[in-house]
Amino acid sequence: MAFTSAIPAADRLPVTVLTGYLGAGKTTLLNRILTHEHGLKVAVIVNEFGEVGIDNQLVVDADEEIFEMNNGCICCTVRGDLIRIIGNLMKRRDRFDHLVIETTGLADPAPVIQTFFVDDDLRDELKLDAVVTLVDLKHVLLHWEAEEVQEQLAFADVLLLNKADLVDESERLAIERRIRAINPMARLLTTHNADAPMDQILGVDAFELERALSLDPGFLLEEHAHEHDDAVGSLALVEERPMDLDRLGRWLSDLVAKRGPDLFRMKGIIQLKGEDNRYVFQSVHMLLDGDFDRPWKPAERRCTQFVIIGRDLDPEGLRDGFSACVA
Amino acid sequence: MTATAPLVSERLCGQLQQGITTLSWSADGEFLAIASAGGELLLLDFRAGCEELLRSDRDSSLNAIGFSADGQFLMAVGQASELLLWELGETGVRPMALDPIPLDAGWLDAAAWQPRGLLLAVAAGRQVRLWDGAVRAWRPECLDMPGTVHALAWSCDGRRLAASCHGELALWQPEAAPAAMPLRAPTGSAGLVLSFSPIGDLLACGQMDRSLLLWPEAGQGRPWQFSGFPAKVRALAWSDQPGRLAPGLAVASGDTVVLWQQRNQSQQGWQPEPLLWHQQRVHALAFAPDSNLLASASADGTVGLWDSRGRLRQPLEGEGQGFQALAWRPDGRHLAAGGDQGRWWLWPVEVPSRERQRRSGGAGFG
Repeated sequence: MAFTSAIPAADRLPVTVLTGYLGAGKTTLLNRILTHEHGLKVAVIVNEFGEVGIDNQLVVDADEEIFEMNNGCICCTVRGDLIRIIGNLMKRRDRFDHLVIETTGLADPAPVIQTFFVDDDLRDELKLDAVVTLVDLKHVLLHWEAEEVQEQLAFADVLLLNKADLVDESERLAIERRIRAINPMARLLTTHNADAPMDQILGVDAFELERALSLDPGFLLEEHAHEHDDAVGSLALVEERPMDLDRLGRWLSDLVAKRGPDLFRMKGIIQLKGEDNRYVFQSVHMLLDGDFDRPWKPAERRCTQFVIIGRDLDPEGLRDGFSACVA
Repeated sequence: MTATAPLVSERLCGQLQQGITTLSWSADGEFLAIASAGGELLLLDFRAGCEELLRSDRDSSLNAIGFSADGQFLMAVGQASELLLWELGETGVRPMALDPIPLDAGWLDAAAWQPRGLLLAVAAGRQVRLWDGAVRAWRPECLDMPGTVHALAWSCDGRRLAASCHGELALWQPEAAPAAMPLRAPTGSAGLVLSFSPIGDLLACGQMDRSLLLWPEAGQGRPWQFSGFPAKVRALAWSDQPGRLAPGLAVASGDTVVLWQQRNQSQQGWQPEPLLWHQQRVHALAFAPDSNLLASASADGTVGLWDSRGRLRQPLEGEGQGFQALAWRPDGRHLAAGGDQGRWWLWPVEVPSRERQRRSGGAGFG
């Protein structure tokens, strides 16, 4: 399935998706985004009207209606209300230049993300900038087993570890380690009152392929799988030998066909045999996207780095399948 | 056939602050209402030769407007989740605004007056509500749907009301006696646009899953489904001229317009003819009344005028703006269009005589 649009990213309106469990501080962050002097006119889609309470802003109510596009497969769910409301909002596009979507604390972020890649209109008119997830450091462990909590961590591009003033250093580091086991790719920001620098939240371009793995460079250079009891986890794969694109493509297509619902996000920079350019890759559930990127730099370590975030991952099977794609 | 006279040679135009969302003519063609994404509502009164801004820019979109069949009321709904109504008096008299009616149902973008009646159907979240102009109040009964209502359409006799949401189409006869349960049909996707044919009792539903559903008996029985459109089906228009078996149906999907004609009664009996010319999304389609002349409005900044053979007769330019809305005057001789930057146009159109047939003429050459 086509993932990105033929329309240049610069011509599309950036969208930030704000998630986080109940009480994590989404409204605080939303208010900061709306009042911050960043020079952007921001339109906001919220799920409970009136909660934000700021005048002179484009604040629109949504009701989180899920459309199953294909026999109830979760990989094909989108948010029908967003398609309708954003369609109406885009007629007012000259009135705003960034869109923020707040989801309820109990929402699975996947349908929101998929909406921007599956719907024809939205794909051509908007670009997903980043999924920003707020974590309540004080209470997150109480809800850690909740499916929504782990999904919101897994899908994030930016994680705000909020209410840091309410926990001590060792508690915070322990939570960070558990979060990193689920999501090794996201940018981590520690905040008190959701007071993250605005340029770390808006304009992140996390879904642009060329930035596929650039948020935390160097983190992945050692292969690891985090062994935790959490159902949601991640696997980072590193391969020095060049890969074969056809084999890799077949393996990935087969993988998402079989395990798509459990594979939340994948990102990779691939070193291909006989190819001077990097190949970059990402996926959301069953949506795959890959393309050639810039040439490898002379001083750059030429190797393939690949991260898989998902539920009930089978590290050995994934490692074997991945290794079989070496050219 | 080649050197034909232009269909359009002059125009009237004007400007609102934000993009035009919709345009609507009164049944007698004496009033044209124009709404914008900023909530402006402009009323042109042709008999008096004046215009009145009924509502100025208030940063809250209007998305559906319309005149009641008898010309007594003008309605508008939009972002503010209110039903706005004006009572129209004589020509040249400023319409009187009734108190806005709050609905608290999110952004309202579908509402339609009953043909030949005074009922106004409003899609309010997962309900279709009926405002009765005869008593100026809501009817107690309403139609409940399993999802947010995307589209509404009345049959031309005003007896049946179709409503679509994700997965379902409902057909309701709100004035049937004794009261009848609505008929409900599964659709497998979200119906984005609905239209009853002016003759022949067909119901068309354009869907998000890039398909078109077509019911031969006004929404009853089994529909034909035509798939494989390049994008979601966004706009529909029926010709009011009888075809061989059914009137022509124009369908917009992505940058493509497809003209459908029914050749026989089988599933394969409907033949599509793609009209490929627009370069961007086609937002609106409308056949000129009493003719087969089709207008198509595109985000590419053009309106195309097509004859019944699918030939582009004349392109109209939008001065750099994409087109979002179209409406033919009931006389079939004037076309109004709205641009995405707030400009509106009114073009007198000389419809070619071979595209124009008399409404009563059953003895055409079909």
